[in-house]
Amino acid sequence: MGGVLVALMIVPFVATVASLVAAPRIGKPLTVVAGATSLGLAVSLLGSGRVATALAGWLRVDSLSLVFLLAVAFLYASTALFAVGYVESGQDDGGRYARRFFAGLNLFAWAMLMAPIVSDFALLWVAVEVTTVVSALLVAIDDTDGAVEAAWKYVLIASMGLGLALLATLVMYYAGTATLGSGYELFFPRLLAGAHHFQPEVVRLAFGLAVLGFGSKMGLVPVHTWLPDAHSEAPTPISALLSGALLTVSFYAILRFYQVTRLAVGSAFPRDVLLVFGIASLALAALYVARQRDLKRLLAYSSVEHMGILAIGMSFAAPIAVAGVLLQVLAHAAAKSTAFFGAGSVIRKFGTKDLERVSGGIGALPWSGPMFVLAVLALSAMPPFGLFRSEFLIVEGGLVSSATALTAVLVALVTIAFLGLSWHASQIMLTPLPDGVLRGETSKVMPVAMVVGLAALVLLGVHPPAQLSELITRAAAELGAGR
Amino acid sequence: MHGLSAAASAPSAVTGAAETVAILVLLSEFAMLRAALSRSQVRLYAFQSLAVAALAFIVAAERHIGELYVLGGLSVLLKVLIVPAIIYRVLREAPDDVATSHRFGVASMVLLAIVLSGFGIFVVGTMPIHSKLLPVLALAVAAAVILVAFLLVIVRSDVVSQAVGFFSLENGVSLASFVLAAGLPLIAEVAFLFDLLVAVVVFGVLMRVHHGRSASLSTRPLERLRG
Amino acid sequence: MTGVELAPAEIQVLQDLTILVFAPFVSGAIAHVEARVQGRRGPRILQPYYDIAKLFRKETLVPEDASFVFLVAPIVAFVCYLTVPLLIPVLTSYPLPLGYMGDILGGGFILALAGFAVALAAAETDAPYAQLGSSRAMTFGALVEPSILFVTFTVALLTATDLPYFEAAAVRPLGQAVHPAHILAAFAFFLVVLADTGRIPVETHSSTLEFGMIDEARTLEHSGPAFALLKWGAAMKQMVLYVILINVFVAPWGLAGSRQLGSVLLAIPIFLAKALGLGIVFAVIDNSFSKLRLFKITEFMAAAFLLAVLAVLVLYLGGR
Repeated sequence: MGGVLVALMIVPFVATVASLVAAPRIGKPLTVVAGATSLGLAVSLLGSGRVATALAGWLRVDSLSLVFLLAVAFLYASTALFAVGYVESGQDDGGRYARRFFAGLNLFAWAMLMAPIVSDFALLWVAVEVTTVVSALLVAIDDTDGAVEAAWKYVLIASMGLGLALLATLVMYYAGTATLGSGYELFFPRLLAGAHHFQPEVVRLAFGLAVLGFGSKMGLVPVHTWLPDAHSEAPTPISALLSGALLTVSFYAILRFYQVTRLAVGSAFPRDVLLVFGIASLALAALYVARQRDLKRLLAYSSVEHMGILAIGMSFAAPIAVAGVLLQVLAHAAAKSTAFFGAGSVIRKFGTKDLERVSGGIGALPWSGPMFVLAVLALSAMPPFGLFRSEFLIVEGGLVSSATALTAVLVALVTIAFLGLSWHASQIMLTPLPDGVLRGETSKVMPVAMVVGLAALVLLGVHPPAQLSELITRAAAELGAGR
Repeated sequence: MHGLSAAASAPSAVTGAAETVAILVLLSEFAMLRAALSRSQVRLYAFQSLAVAALAFIVAAERHIGELYVLGGLSVLLKVLIVPAIIYRVLREAPDDVATSHRFGVASMVLLAIVLSGFGIFVVGTMPIHSKLLPVLALAVAAAVILVAFLLVIVRSDVVSQAVGFFSLENGVSLASFVLAAGLPLIAEVAFLFDLLVAVVVFGVLMRVHHGRSASLSTRPLERLRG
Repeated sequence: MTGVELAPAEIQVLQDLTILVFAPFVSGAIAHVEARVQGRRGPRILQPYYDIAKLFRKETLVPEDASFVFLVAPIVAFVCYLTVPLLIPVLTSYPLPLGYMGDILGGGFILALAGFAVALAAAETDAPYAQLGSSRAMTFGALVEPSILFVTFTVALLTATDLPYFEAAAVRPLGQAVHPAHILAAFAFFLVVLADTGRIPVETHSSTLEFGMIDEARTLEHSGPAFALLKWGAAMKQMVLYVILINVFVAPWGLAGSRQLGSVLLAIPIFLAKALGLGIVFAVIDNSFSKLRLFKITEFMAAAFLLAVLAVLVLYLGGR
């Protein structure tokens, strides 16, 4: 199995170099191939049910990492597909833009794939930081006033946050010196093995800093402020990657800290911390969704909402809620990317992100339009899509953990967000088509990416493959659920 | 001569030197906070980085950790020479725009920073953290530097100050790493430094792009996106 | 060679006399050095003595509405400046009996009383500049106060007393001087001295421009012997502050360790040399920096406060 991990490390990197030096007509299909290959490699890990390691233990994929690896790889594949259509139908400047774009896309995907693969806290931090710098350049790649502003805010806030995350890593290292001696590698299994003997205060400090630090990358309120700007100003494929994969990769980093913290100080403390951030994120996002005027900001706040749900889900004690959280990671990736792809088609068609100036989307876009509506319904956790199942599990977990009041708040806030989302979606989609807008898709490839996303959502919602369910159960067990 | 037996016994010379250098790191952070010119801010950053590297050398010499010499040398190269050079290049292209801007009065800003660093130092004081290598004061100073760096980024509204704020935050984290993780494998430390280099390049690129678009280093044009 | 042993009371008197007699000399010497640094020939070193002597021969003029306070204040201030040297280590490294009479705060109060008296006298007059000076002096005095307090706390934490003698004793072994809290406190106090002796960057002490004046403006309406006392007092205050800075914080060496007449007398020139060294530092600062705008002075005070607070925080954490 080790070879798969090494291949996952090499494939996107090769694609990066190739798309930088080769002409876009080679780089584009290569990116799609690299994305599909990565997804295939990730899926091939699904069968074994064992922990895969490579490179003397520096690369290591257990069930928890595999969940996130699947989400990232899936998004890499579908975004590559979408981007081929997106960039084709947009710029034409002799391929410079396309070269940079695809090289950046591959490198960004590479960094995000590396984050769940590496087996040590230090390298995890490095991978997340690399995602920041690469994606900041990708946010700025359109070189508009808004893009530059968003990129600056993003790189500044995320880097400051990651500075705290680095501090968290160092504090965790210090905690580990209690049992592991003064010089050691921060491998997860070693820390987990010794976590019982760590000083509780130090571990608490590390966890708090980690939530604050990685949380600023994940979009937890109140350190989310870069998120709507970056999501709305970046090119749409990048928005999809940011929202669907980058945020959850940061969540993965927090979960790694959670694992150690739970063993060192018990799960009450980390749960409480996550609960506070989760409620704040969910509440603020639900309100902002309702009064949004910008299509992509709308989706961005919906991401904040989902991150809040993830954090709240982790704060419930019941194992079923943890399983829901992990399923939500996968479903969120599929749903949010599909919604962004739809938004990209709408923006390309109407030439604006302003919700009040878009109408008749279904009439204008015979394929993307209806699929966008479906994606929004999926985002709002409607059956039969995957998010319905995952949020249902989380709510059930809340009730089982006898956190009834909290669960009621969760459901109420999700409902508010649902109302906001569906109101805006129906306003731009289910309205008469204004004169002068021609009927027809802007690209043939872009709707295909959406079909892929919706198919995955239905699969997750109706009947998740047995292997996936087992994976999630095992990952939940790794997070301490069921014990 | 009752009372002459001092309550605070004398620290060893190395500890005293380490503490003094750590204080210099914090003082240069404060100086950055109030510096009126971008250039002097960059110089202060270089000085601060030098002080941090000096601490690495002190620890290396005291405990005979060869890796720390390498790390100190690399930080001097990167943070004292390369990073300031990159920012200077950005500044050279914007010669008329070097006066940085405060959002509050300097005195109230310094008072706020004093409160923040006091908070940081007290929090570290409550932590059961001890290090054989460096006085825990260095960690407290690191916490204070990090908090003041946040303040710097928040209250100063020009891209150079904000970038320098981030870089000095990284200096604070480096300082903390000497106390918390002096045994951290060199490979990880080098990875951190390399990451900083990449971040610096990205900051530099974005600063130049921003200056190219708005003909200014102020962040006041960067307030369109809200809500 | 057994010399004459002095009684503690005699040494005490000698401390006062040192301040009283040599304060104008130090002022004159600094003014001379300053002029030389600026490329002027400058006044004679003994010029302040001539000035004071001349003023004592002049008549005293009192503004019409001024009350007795106007006349009494210079004497009060002068007496205050004579009292403080009893509390601080001017010549000896061992505490003298009256050294227990008051701690650093006590000395600070007495100095503040002197400043208050002078400001009150200035307020008695109807002259706008004198009143401006007194209000400014009180304002900035209040801003310096927190720094002095925190410096005092540092001393207290370092030595478990707040007697200047013990702080000096704690600093004397060389290794101790490296203690960062001590360095910070010393630097903070250096800034305080800079402000309190009316030096650049807070005030141009030799300026004749009333608008920029702070301390100097307060005495504009005085004349004759009263003015002589004020000038003399100002020189003594400067010397007292130098004593605290040098003999308590920076260089408490070269003080008399015994009651031998010889060693006590030897301490006087040693101290004068140190004071001149410090004076040269001040003269160089005077020439290297420009005066801050009045509203920027708060920044200067904030810097001093920062250093003093950090000193306390460092000590709190040092816990040693």
